[in-house]
Amino acid sequence: MARTDIGPTEIAEQRHGFVSSWGQMPLSFRIGAVILGLHFAVAVTGPFWAPYGYSQMGTGAPLSGASLAHPFGIDQLGRDVFSRVVHGSWIVILLSLSGTLLGTITGAIIGLFSGYVGGWIDEVIQRLLEALISIPFLVFALIAIAAAGTEHSGNPFLITMVVALVYAPRIARIARAAAIDITTRDYVTVARLRGEGAWSVMRRELLPNATSVLLVEFALRVGYAPVLIGSLGFLGFGLRPPTPEWGIMISENRALLIIAPSTVLGPGLALASLVVGFNLFTEGLARVLDRTVKLGAQ
Amino acid sequence: MSNSLVEVTGLSVSYRHGRSWRRVVEDVSFHVNRGEVFGLVGESGCGKSTVALQLLGFRHATLRADAGSIAIGGLDVRSLDRAGLNRMRGAKVSFVPQNPTTALNPGMRVGAQVDEVLLAHGRAAEPRTAELFDLVGLSTGTEFLRRYPHQLSGGQQQRVCIAMALACEPELVVLDEPTTGLDVTTQEQIADLLIGLRRRLGMSMLYVTHDLGLLSQIADRIGVMYAGRMVEVAPAADLFAEPRHPYTRGLIGALPRIDGGDTPAKPLRGLLQRDLLPKGCPFAPRCDHALKKCFDEVQALRSAGAGRAVACWRFEAIGPDAAGQLPQISARRAAQEELLRVDRLSVTYGRGARAFMALKDVSFTISKGETLALVGESGSGKSTMARAISGLIAPASGEVRMRGERLAPLVKHRSAEQRRLIQYVFQNPDASLNPRATVGTSLARPSAFFFPERVAAGDDGLLTALDDVRLDENYAARYPDQLSGGERQRVAIARALIAEPDLLLCDEVLSALDVSVQASILELLQRLKAERGVAMLFISHDLAVVRMLADRVHVLFRGEVMESGTRGQIFAPPFHPYTHALLEAVPAPLKTRRPAARPLQAALTATPACPYAGRCRWRIGPICDDKAPPLRESTNGHVIRCHHDLAALARLTRANPTGE
Repeated sequence: MARTDIGPTEIAEQRHGFVSSWGQMPLSFRIGAVILGLHFAVAVTGPFWAPYGYSQMGTGAPLSGASLAHPFGIDQLGRDVFSRVVHGSWIVILLSLSGTLLGTITGAIIGLFSGYVGGWIDEVIQRLLEALISIPFLVFALIAIAAAGTEHSGNPFLITMVVALVYAPRIARIARAAAIDITTRDYVTVARLRGEGAWSVMRRELLPNATSVLLVEFALRVGYAPVLIGSLGFLGFGLRPPTPEWGIMISENRALLIIAPSTVLGPGLALASLVVGFNLFTEGLARVLDRTVKLGAQ
Repeated sequence: MSNSLVEVTGLSVSYRHGRSWRRVVEDVSFHVNRGEVFGLVGESGCGKSTVALQLLGFRHATLRADAGSIAIGGLDVRSLDRAGLNRMRGAKVSFVPQNPTTALNPGMRVGAQVDEVLLAHGRAAEPRTAELFDLVGLSTGTEFLRRYPHQLSGGQQQRVCIAMALACEPELVVLDEPTTGLDVTTQEQIADLLIGLRRRLGMSMLYVTHDLGLLSQIADRIGVMYAGRMVEVAPAADLFAEPRHPYTRGLIGALPRIDGGDTPAKPLRGLLQRDLLPKGCPFAPRCDHALKKCFDEVQALRSAGAGRAVACWRFEAIGPDAAGQLPQISARRAAQEELLRVDRLSVTYGRGARAFMALKDVSFTISKGETLALVGESGSGKSTMARAISGLIAPASGEVRMRGERLAPLVKHRSAEQRRLIQYVFQNPDASLNPRATVGTSLARPSAFFFPERVAAGDDGLLTALDDVRLDENYAARYPDQLSGGERQRVAIARALIAEPDLLLCDEVLSALDVSVQASILELLQRLKAERGVAMLFISHDLAVVRMLADRVHVLFRGEVMESGTRGQIFAPPFHPYTHALLEAVPAPLKTRRPAARPLQAALTATPACPYAGRCRWRIGPICDDKAPPLRESTNGHVIRCHHDLAALARLTRANPTGE
């Protein structure tokens, strides 16, 4: 126990980054990363090796359950559900990422501005955001889709915008809180005394110091985006069939739950594992970032 | 050694750093006798607090005691289990923390917090808590016991912490920088209290601090630590009379002396760099006397006369007066051209009935190249003045003129040129640099902002700015967390200088730094003053520092100027009673203490006409409360606001000389 062999001279060698290697990452981060890695691999390569096309009919006896040739069974129209899940992967992931990214950027700009400027402008922005947040997100999404009109229904860009719209106010509140905290620091005061404009202060002083908060927030939100997109698809307000979006598939096949449960469980499992993967990854990421942020502050 | 209460032998402690362990305390041995105050001193990061916490049996997953033993009254602390530690803590050994604000539970009444300690050790709380409050000079009324920590001042909170530490009559009290977070005057009161308590209760103390001056008044014996090792142990008087280890000499030399005249304190060379310690003596890289042997051989503590020990093999060879002299800076004669004029400036916080006047009709001028110091305790309005001049807050009345031009109250209405000419340097170097920007980025921005055409021509002034603050170009690529506190403050000063200002607002720029670092920043400021002729508004509560830098001094109390004059006038009688109290509060080595003559808690029932009336020890009578004191001007510009005339003040001062 008594290790007296560590002299001060060895201290230099012992000094290294706190989280430099894979093995030092939290377990949740590693598991999440593996799950996400699999999902991304399927999303990118899937269309090339999927056994059937996503709208290809007559792949076998309709309404049949899981088998070796058709792991998730075959739906009413004779389409192979496994192939459809694989083909849908990149759509779900891409829409989730782009929607959340757009929401994070918009939210960050609104929030940092509101928190930095303060005063009545901040008050007005905050009351508006609170009003938006008070509407349940699914209802809010449906209102937005209805407002966009029927000519845009099923448009993937609309779905991206809706995800962004739902998330932006929530992220803006987090960004505002961070901005208020950072604004009290002396380096921001120095910038103000210099006469820097709001945009310059936000970009140079606030944003770099809010990135870890925003990154965690982005990762957290992106994990729920597939659920939001899936819910819209399930309700028939999302993408249009025959797009192999998982929510639509669950909706279409829910009547088959008794006869061929794998047609619902397949896309459900894909959705669930994606969400769990994102969440584990996020949780680990938050821990790593928190630690490095704290370490940096020492 | 039968008299010794605490025996620490060969203690080594490591902290976890990632997956490895980093040794922070190396083979430390010392003892504390019964009824003795043992002081541990050293720069921050030297391991003194770690040692202190080990006496309380502090254990943590990231901390490991590698070797050594700690015995307190025969009890082996390191072998105690949790229950044993619980019995020991509070009853046998107790602790007074640095920051009372975070040490007290904000949701619990202060009386109940002291009760809790007593009850935990199976003692009755009822009369004892009130006794303890009386002992530490607090009110014993039920109303006071039922207050929450936020309703107490910092000094009162620290008294509560001390009461908790004394609750079960421990044999040893461990104090970890108990006065560091407090005001100078409060600091003095707490120090007085501790000295008095020790005399009355006869307990032992382990007093940890970086403040040698303070320690010299409290401690019987002092241990000096450097980089986790004990480098010198000696009785307090001997240590100051004749420091033997080069590091101790450096520490004592770096102390700003109130009686030291104009010679700057000699800073210790370099910085403690834990990563770059040699095999041998850890101080060797910074030592002026180091030989090759110093780098190779570890220096063990060895006896050096009666009751003294030094970890230096050649202390005898180093003469007593080896401290080198700084190159004398030829002070440029300050031109009497007016730069800044502050005219009857008042600042109010809040509105209506709750409005609080932070500054009342304060006027002064600063000439080109001149340093004006604003001194006073916290809450005196010093920083408010800097904020008003810089345009961060708008004054309620009065105006600020720069080179004769009236400045807009708020910075956003000022021209770029006006903003450039006044630069602000903040107290806390940790918060004044953007942690996500490199030093180069932080410095490049003001340069690009104020001198775009010059930067476009390829001269960003970066290297000059770094050179001005004595940092080399490698620093440009570093982030603030790779710098020490002193280096960060240098970068903050460089960032201000790169705008080529006429006036630097230095708001307590030294107070967050270690003594030896303070001395080097002070030296830097003196140099800048001499070389660049930049004027400064130097805000500080530390009179010793002010004395070394300021040309003129204004003493502020509750937003009003009590005394103003040149440095020579302020630091010589006649004194304003408040200036006198401030001077007295300066901890100077081996100054004998008198018990505080004024009431400990200022009774502030009404707002008296003289703001200082409630605390004044030379109070005349009701006139002080009823009538605003006149301005008394002695020779050329030395002004004192007091009902006493100057002759009376001079007499009072002679009767109560400051220092020895």
